Amino acid sequence: MPLRIKVRNAESGATVEMELEGENTIDDIIEGAAGYWEKDAGAYVLRRGRRLLRGQQTVAEAGILNNDELELIPDPEGG
Amino acid sequence: MSALIKVGAIDDDRFDRSRRIGWLDMERIQSARCFVAGAGALGNEVIKNLVLSGVKSIMLVDMDYVVRSNLNRCVFFREEDASRKSMKTDIIAKRVKELNSEIRITPINSRIEEIDLGCLKDYDVVFGCFDNIGARLHLNAHAYYYGVPYIDGGTDGITGKIQVVLPPDTPCLQCATNKTHMKILEKRFSCTGADISIYEPKIPAEITTTSIIAAIQVREGLKIISGKKENCIRHVCYYNGLLNTFDSFEVSLDPMCPVHLSSYFKSF
Ligand SMILES: [Zn+2]
Repeated sequence: MPLRIKVRNAESGATVEMELEGENTIDDIIEGAAGYWEKDAGAYVLRRGRRLLRGQQTVAEAGILNNDELELIPDPEGG
Repeated sequence: MSALIKVGAIDDDRFDRSRRIGWLDMERIQSARCFVAGAGALGNEVIKNLVLSGVKSIMLVDMDYVVRSNLNRCVFFREEDASRKSMKTDIIAKRVKELNSEIRITPINSRIEEIDLGCLKDYDVVFGCFDNIGARLHLNAHAYYYGVPYIDGGTDGITGKIQVVLPPDTPCLQCATNKTHMKILEKRFSCTGADISIYEPKIPAEITTTSIIAAIQVREGLKIISGKKENCIRHVCYYNGLLNTFDSFEVSLDPMCPVHLSSYFKSF
């Protein structure tokens, strides 16, 4: 059964709802959210609570639950 | 016989006020060896903070020369350096003597990928002050392999981050990457026929965010040198300059991360 989650944009505070299957990956969520907000082709990370999620992990492996709220954070590259 | 004290002698000691901070181990700090990669905005601030904190021995690596657009955020660079296209590392090594004449900075004018990083084992802390993910991952892998703490900084406009990597206990930079990082790497080294073109985007940058991120990088380094590893950021800290908020997050160790696999196989 698909899960429904919310992803928050750390830069704007906006949120988007997303429907996921257990085999979807964190990379899929990042790609979907960054695409929805038409983000620049930069690096992003996704957090759940106090933990950053690994890109290759599946939704099931990452322990994501129905109604979870995740946050998309830009990962600064400059120096 | 009673002790003789000299009135005002306290102010003759450059580090008197630092010594009053209980957890700073000034003896270790003054004998520490630090490796700084990148002599741009973060590199300038990291060097300034290390030197003012008492570190005397630093290796500094960068392959670039000074340009005018560096002058909004680099404390050691001057207009004449940009006119002369002086190498960043040489200028910092020279100007840092104005802060403390005892400092020994070894400037290396090279890309980080082109030097033998076996020397890392002789350093106490490695600071990453790069403007690209490829160089970060390269140095992260080598520092982990040689078991040297690596403190990475990054900025973009008024946001920034600091990641502290303490081998063999913590995850590394590579563990925290995903497809978006790999896409940037692919874009940076895109092949066009026989040539490899390097795509270098101009990333927004200014001094206030740079100085905050570099200050935290150095503070984490001073904790490590002073034997206070347990008080370091665990594992990555993001700074939002618009709201002035800091958030620390844990990264889980990726069992397939090549950095840990190579460090593991080193023991055989
Ligand atoms: Zn790793």
